[in-house]
Amino acid sequence: MTDLAVDIRGISKRYAEHVAVRDLTLQVPRGAVYGLLGPNGAGKTTSIRMLLNIIAPDTGSVTILGRPNTDVAVLDRLGYLPEERGLYKKMEVRRLLVFLAELKGLSPREAERRIDGWLERLSLKTPDKDWGKSKVDELSRGMQQKVQFIGTLLHDPELVILDEPFSGLDPINAQALKDTVVELKRQGKTVIFSTHLMDNAERLCDSVCIIAKGEKVLDGTVSGVKAAAGDRTVALAFAGGVNAAVAAVLADRSLVAHADDQNRFVEVELAAGAEPQRLLERLMQTGAQIERFERVHPSLHKIFLEKVGATGIEAGMSGHG
Amino acid sequence: MAKLWAVIKREYLERVRTKWFIISTVFGPLLLTALMVLPAMMTVRNMRDAKLSKMEILDVTGNDLGAKIAARLTGPMADTGVITVRALDVAALASAEEEALARVQSKDIAGYLVLDSGTVAGRSARYAGRNASSTGEMDGIESAIRAVVLNDRLEREGLDPVRIQQLTQTRVQLATERITDKGRGGSGTGSQILGFMVAFLLYMMLILYGQNILRSVLEEKTTRVAEVIVASVKPDILLAGKVFGVAAVSLTQQVVWILSGVLLWRFRGPLLAKAGAGEMPPIPFPEVGVGVLLLFVAFFLFGFLFYAALFAAAGATVNSDQDAQQAAQPVTLLLVASIIFVQPIMMAPSNTMAQVMSWLPFSAPIIMPLRMAVVPVSPLELGLVLAGLLLSCIAAIWFASRIYRVGLLMYGKRPTLRELSRWVMQS
Repeated sequence: MTDLAVDIRGISKRYAEHVAVRDLTLQVPRGAVYGLLGPNGAGKTTSIRMLLNIIAPDTGSVTILGRPNTDVAVLDRLGYLPEERGLYKKMEVRRLLVFLAELKGLSPREAERRIDGWLERLSLKTPDKDWGKSKVDELSRGMQQKVQFIGTLLHDPELVILDEPFSGLDPINAQALKDTVVELKRQGKTVIFSTHLMDNAERLCDSVCIIAKGEKVLDGTVSGVKAAAGDRTVALAFAGGVNAAVAAVLADRSLVAHADDQNRFVEVELAAGAEPQRLLERLMQTGAQIERFERVHPSLHKIFLEKVGATGIEAGMSGHG
Repeated sequence: MAKLWAVIKREYLERVRTKWFIISTVFGPLLLTALMVLPAMMTVRNMRDAKLSKMEILDVTGNDLGAKIAARLTGPMADTGVITVRALDVAALASAEEEALARVQSKDIAGYLVLDSGTVAGRSARYAGRNASSTGEMDGIESAIRAVVLNDRLEREGLDPVRIQQLTQTRVQLATERITDKGRGGSGTGSQILGFMVAFLLYMMLILYGQNILRSVLEEKTTRVAEVIVASVKPDILLAGKVFGVAAVSLTQQVVWILSGVLLWRFRGPLLAKAGAGEMPPIPFPEVGVGVLLLFVAFFLFGFLFYAALFAAAGATVNSDQDAQQAAQPVTLLLVASIIFVQPIMMAPSNTMAQVMSWLPFSAPIIMPLRMAVVPVSPLELGLVLAGLLLSCIAAIWFASRIYRVGLLMYGKRPTLRELSRWVMQS
């Protein structure tokens, strides 16, 4: 019994025109919430598909829960939410869910028993309306996403893989999803999800792996990654915003290497050799009313931009990440 | 295997529940009835109508041939004004024809019949009219002329009209019976119809459900359901489940159709009589042994699996309905090629072409049942063809599952033939 939920060793996938994933190696410990981060087109979905043996890697191997992923039986122990929702449009929700559960080795009777609980929990079944009896294409997009989510978790998988779960979710459903991920972790399950939304990743993940252009840029625990990125970052906030005098101080390259105005606060990276104390002094001299002066680890967002920027994000890629 | 079963169950139940299935299953037999009864009714109507067309007989024979023909055509109630007879001299014929032509053009009469010395000699008669292309009417007129000319000749030989009536009255009907190695078995017409029905049913099922499979693969691709399923089971299981599930659907439909078809055949006499078709010669139902029936089912199943696998593979290579039609064309063409040969093969079921067509795997499922129904086929030949078909089936499924596995998750442009062959080789 290994303590790794997923052990990926040097997988690559080459298509006719380009290399989608190159020599990717990563380990996901059991019970972790693991984020697979990267800009669009970085190879996240291809990696996940290889992980699930939906497509076979050209090289390398994948071990899931201690078994090779070519072992069909191991697929029963994981749940997968694809990036684009895949449901039979003309099928009744309840029958579709039973079918999906049967594919994971659940008996129809057991599936029926569990479906009610899930439908009620995600408010798809209320005293006045049971959406389980409707056809999939009668449901709104948000409700279809919930159905897909139930389909992913109905068989109580040990490992849950979510491809871009937050895309297209409204704040309420996004919160519900976060709660569910936390709940899954509490139950000792392993959750892997891909995203290009760094805020979600930073809040939810124990560990992350950043990939760009099909290659791993860095991986590790979130705290480790942030610590490694140094503590040369200061978060600043001023009453009334950044005035001209403050802007002048922040433009001083002997003191500040880079300032990123986040509107509510400014993320400042100190120049090499500059003391944070000196920055505070200069700022106080401007007379601006300082609301926040905090030495912080850089945000995942910033690390991401730095690392992926160095590898080079292709033009036109997502502005989110 | 529980998961394969789950896929088969879904494919079967979801299809059987659709309105399309219920409607086509119920209306199939109705359509069949209509196809059988309507032409018979039409023929009967035409035969009746034939006697009602107004016409003029221009008789230059010099005897009362025209009047006799008119009497024969109108039956016992002569002189109802439907047929007018003008006895003329040869010299007056041209102007009489002009007048008749004018009457036809003014729609006073439908046409006119010219009887001359050629008619008396038993060679010729002329008819001109608006209804000249109505086969039923012309046949009626022709046989009336023949009968009257024959009677006329016999009378001139001195025979008594009553005696002539007795002598010329025949109602021969050809009863056909098929003889096989096992002895007599049913009527020739019966087995022909059966063979044709089986071939046509197979063809129809393959076209209908082949397209159905194609579209369902396409739907799974475009809605990305395929990805969810393939994360749980191997693509081969999805393919197999789909093919078996749909085969079961079409078998269900066929059982309903065939049962109602058999009932229809049994009660076809009363049905036709009610429709006003009158007595029809009875066609005895061909005796079909259980063995032959099983062979039909075997040919159907193998043929279905063969074509279904190919249609599924075609569906996996495309992403839109338009592309799907194109991708299905080569497969459909194989089917159409088989059905085109049904007519010629039924006429000559023992020649080389018929034999070769009943051996080739793509046409065997349609042509062999047809041949079997019409001529005896040796068990050895049947066995060999079935074995060959089974092998081709396995090859088709192997080939299809390769394409399916890769194609299912391929989006974007359609693959070229070279890419396709790479898919088959690689996976």
